Amino acid sequence: MITINEYGARTSAALRRFSRSTTTTLLCVTLGGYLALGIASSGEFFQGPSVRTFLQYLATPVLIGLAQMVALCVGQLNLAVGALGGCTACLMGVLMADGGVPAPIAVAAGVLTAMLVGLVTGVFIVATRINGFIVTLGVMTILLGAQYRLAGTRTVDGYSPALKELGRAAPLNVPLVFLTALAVAGLLAVFLYRATAGRRLLAAGGNPLAARLSGISTDRQIVLAHTLSGLLVGVAAVTATASLPGVNRSVGGDWLLPSFAAPIIGGVGLSGGSVAVFGTVLAAFVMRLIDAARAQFSLDPSWVNFLIGLVVLGTVVGGRVHQTHLEKRGKAHGRTPPAPAGRGPTADATLPNAGGGQ
Amino acid sequence: MNDVLLEGREIVKVFPGVRALDGVGLRLTAGSVHALLGENGAGKSTLIKVLTGVHAPDGGRLTWRGEEVRLRSPLEATRTGIGVVHQERNLIPDFSVAENITLQSPPARRGFVDRGAMSAPALRCLAELDLDLDPLRPVRELSVAQQQLVEIAKALYTESRVLLLDEPTASLSPREADRLFGVVRRLTARGTCVVFVSHKLEEVFALCDTVTVLRDGRSVLESSPLAGHTHDDIVNLMVGRAHTATEMPPRAPDRTAAPVLALDGVSTADGHQDVSLEVRPGEIVGLYGLVGAGRSELVKAVLGLDRITAGEVRMHGTPVRIASPRQALHDFGIGYLTENRKEEGVFLEQPIHRNITVTVWKKLAKALGYVPAAEERQAAQDLVDRLGIRISGLEQNAGELSGGNQQKVSMAKWLAADTRLLIVDEPTVGVDVRTKHAFHRLLWELAGEGLPILLISSDLTEMITLADRVLVMADHRIRGEVDNDGDYERMSGRIIRIIHDRALPAVTTEREAE
Repeated sequence: MITINEYGARTSAALRRFSRSTTTTLLCVTLGGYLALGIASSGEFFQGPSVRTFLQYLATPVLIGLAQMVALCVGQLNLAVGALGGCTACLMGVLMADGGVPAPIAVAAGVLTAMLVGLVTGVFIVATRINGFIVTLGVMTILLGAQYRLAGTRTVDGYSPALKELGRAAPLNVPLVFLTALAVAGLLAVFLYRATAGRRLLAAGGNPLAARLSGISTDRQIVLAHTLSGLLVGVAAVTATASLPGVNRSVGGDWLLPSFAAPIIGGVGLSGGSVAVFGTVLAAFVMRLIDAARAQFSLDPSWVNFLIGLVVLGTVVGGRVHQTHLEKRGKAHGRTPPAPAGRGPTADATLPNAGGGQ
Repeated sequence: MNDVLLEGREIVKVFPGVRALDGVGLRLTAGSVHALLGENGAGKSTLIKVLTGVHAPDGGRLTWRGEEVRLRSPLEATRTGIGVVHQERNLIPDFSVAENITLQSPPARRGFVDRGAMSAPALRCLAELDLDLDPLRPVRELSVAQQQLVEIAKALYTESRVLLLDEPTASLSPREADRLFGVVRRLTARGTCVVFVSHKLEEVFALCDTVTVLRDGRSVLESSPLAGHTHDDIVNLMVGRAHTATEMPPRAPDRTAAPVLALDGVSTADGHQDVSLEVRPGEIVGLYGLVGAGRSELVKAVLGLDRITAGEVRMHGTPVRIASPRQALHDFGIGYLTENRKEEGVFLEQPIHRNITVTVWKKLAKALGYVPAAEERQAAQDLVDRLGIRISGLEQNAGELSGGNQQKVSMAKWLAADTRLLIVDEPTVGVDVRTKHAFHRLLWELAGEGLPILLISSDLTEMITLADRVLVMADHRIRGEVDNDGDYERMSGRIIRIIHDRALPAVTTEREAE
């Protein structure tokens, strides 16, 4: 009886926490926006082909948002997201089209290369103690050069039809690339929330000193975060190569800012220690919705950037206000010790219900 | 019960410019509570960090149950059986209570954290402390006191034979502290040794069996039974007698002059209550207190960096509202020499002359904000000579100077602005003795010329060397005032008693309440 009561109280506390989170807000915004768009287009937006196009171009933003999120969660940032993605896409295209390498091998080589670049970046940051901003800025420039060297001014499109076929495949109008992105997000969530290695990553980001005192090497976590970030960019490059008609030097050029926007709107702090996989995915959804709305109402493209900029600033300001609010409450608590946690009126109100269930 | 668990002999730890520990010894025996006492900066926290593998000692021996050990990391110390609650917050804000408690060795299966298995040990540790907390709550949502208790629960989880608690009661209410003492007694009954660091002597005498006292990085009393000492003995040992006051020319401020700055019943948003003080021309007023007493915060509120919620600030007798440090400087001539000189006091990447004249650019500037270089250099050179700042040239970057000289540059900045009141916050933290003396002499001379100075310091020697009156602050209130008679022993005794007396009434009210 007692355990069930406690369990009920705890579940409701967890639910309450969730209902107040950024993710819930985003979920409402996404659903509301989707419905509004659907109604405004008199139902056309709910139909197969529209859904399919909508999701097709959502895969890459989701993946690059996650790649940036992994870097942010240890308090780093990765400016090379776009350049690495573009370079990897061109590498795969050139390998297949010019080198005649079979698609599976080219894809594997591309993903591994991206991961390796992430690993080297991380090791470089840890070894030299140079700020990650500068290092990834350097890596970005190097990769942009490499991408230009690989693709030149042409568009490489004569690569594996099978890969392109996969990229366009959409059973039940849900594109495979989108499913891939969702699967990656799921795996990443399991890794970050459940795996010991993922928890160490977050501990090092949340309070580096405390992590060190608990025997966690923060250096290793920084290397791991950059490697993981590189791996995710590699997967994003694969989805881009598969769904685009061809790759050229402009691939990845417009990835960097959305890669920051998604996690920040999704509720990830820039100072490290917090992640929101679902939130990041939803934020990518919201940005895609804005883009879809522009197409729907034939608005000026500049509106998209304008709106995304507003949303980013709004989220950050909102988070700031919320934080100050929490701090004030914490201070008040510090002066007069408060009633123990989870015993608020709401928790009490749910207790009889939980007992009644028995 | 008399087996020695951990013993340290002649431990030395050197930081750049400071011998933080200089031959410290202590012996920790099973089943006892050992007090580690000393003034601010005596080396208590450093010793704890050496004993727990955070800092590697530069000399001396550590033995664990008779065998020599070398603790290379905090993890090694934990594995040996040494647990600790540091003075700093060491929780991961976004993790749950349970996960923080089990952070050092989370229950896991095949690389995945087992959250189900996490709650049980966490609840057991929380129950030891009589703490009713949801183990799934993120610690970010907890109050400061609750977080402190979670840290103690975290130390209990590792089941250490030696448990070091660095100021564990600083943010606890008397009731919570009592609970903690219950846990400490239970642990020692099981054969654990608990090392207890506290500024509250009443707690120490109520709880501890043996005591080690540190002073200036040396152990002046080593693992001695506490029963053989009185409060006064311990205070005298902490403070020491062998303090040579710097010889200064006499200076007699006019006690009847009208105060330059006066606070009357000031309360702030940060939590200060009913603070009143006066600073007269040519007077050095000391503001002494332990770290966290709210001294710097008070000054920042006066300068407009935090909100004053009640009371009055008067400059030369006129009530004023200062909105910003900029207004404080330009309208009222208040110079503030910050505690944090690397981050707030000087522009490290800028040449010295620019650092000094930044406060007077407005005065030097001609049309369109052009500052003539020659005049700027002249103004700077005058002050460099006057303060005896050792530099290779005015073009040198401030970041290349030693700590003491940086502090002087920071001071020159305010003197250039023709300051009429100087607020100095921890002026000599981290500088060597010679610079310290030079700096003391400088402040003394400035006061002698009639400049009123408000001095914030945690260094008691400095207070007694410089201040005419010492206001003692604790817990965001002024607790008492002591007129400085220059006698170190008498003064330090009085000041420390004002601080320590606080613990007593708090405990009695608690008892009355029950």
